[in-house]
Amino acid sequence: MKKLTLNSILISLAVVLSFIERLIPLNLIVPMPGIKLGFANIVTMFALFCVDIPSAIIITILRCILSSLLFGGMTSLLYSLSGAFLALIAMILLKLGYNKVFTLLGISIGGAAAHNIGQILMASIMMKNFAIFAYLPILLLASLVTGLITAIIASGVIGIFEKNKGFI
Amino acid sequence: MKVKIKFGDVLVILAVILSSAIIAMSMHQEDSEQRVAVISQNNAEIGRIYLDKYQEPYTIPYSGQYPGIIEVNNGKVRFKEAQCPDQVCVHTGWIEKPGEIAVCLPSGIIIKIEGYNQSDVDIIVR
Repeated sequence: MKKLTLNSILISLAVVLSFIERLIPLNLIVPMPGIKLGFANIVTMFALFCVDIPSAIIITILRCILSSLLFGGMTSLLYSLSGAFLALIAMILLKLGYNKVFTLLGISIGGAAAHNIGQILMASIMMKNFAIFAYLPILLLASLVTGLITAIIASGVIGIFEKNKGFI
Repeated sequence: MKVKIKFGDVLVILAVILSSAIIAMSMHQEDSEQRVAVISQNNAEIGRIYLDKYQEPYTIPYSGQYPGIIEVNNGKVRFKEAQCPDQVCVHTGWIEKPGEIAVCLPSGIIIKIEGYNQSDVDIIVR
């Protein structure tokens, strides 16, 4: 029951973050389909590290469906699901080496890069045209920056949660 | 805030930089004198503009769920206006170099600049 409540809060937090992200006109600076800061990934990382993998999967799927229903549409659901799911798989795999080989930084950047690859793959399938891969190099470089930002925020949040675990 | 870095993180960062460099190099096209803008909608070619042939500006409208207008001017091409919700295509601005693309995902339109050699063209109808 406690987990259900926590997961529900995390889903709504992710939807709110997706909304806030839309208010930042990032594509005026970098006009490229699919570019965004990836704040919702902070919630996925939190769920992955502080709850468990099944919760992270459920939270990711539901926040994609909810934010697409609220702000996007059917097409945006396909894009966000493909990106978010590939990011989740990458982060689950990288998490296996957490504290031994990787810190949150590597996991976050890996997730951001996988997210971009997922979206470009989906876009090329939808448009039946591989020309859109021309955007991938810049999107990958952008994921270094966005991955760093989410890593800093996520490590702060996860650190606080770990410290106060008994109270939550 | 202190972010510690481990060996694996450096590997991830290097892998991202390396793969973006490899993809960029494999997509790279030589700058050539003759350029053609290929416009396709959901992989069906809807237009082919020989950019060096026209100096006068002109526009090409396209239809679909989110219609819009493509403008050609001075050897460059852009999405002039579009009905799509995100307007990423319009913000992309002018493109002119071989290998450059402008994309409107909602309408399924891709404009791609390709370079070609004069000998590749059989006939030019004037």
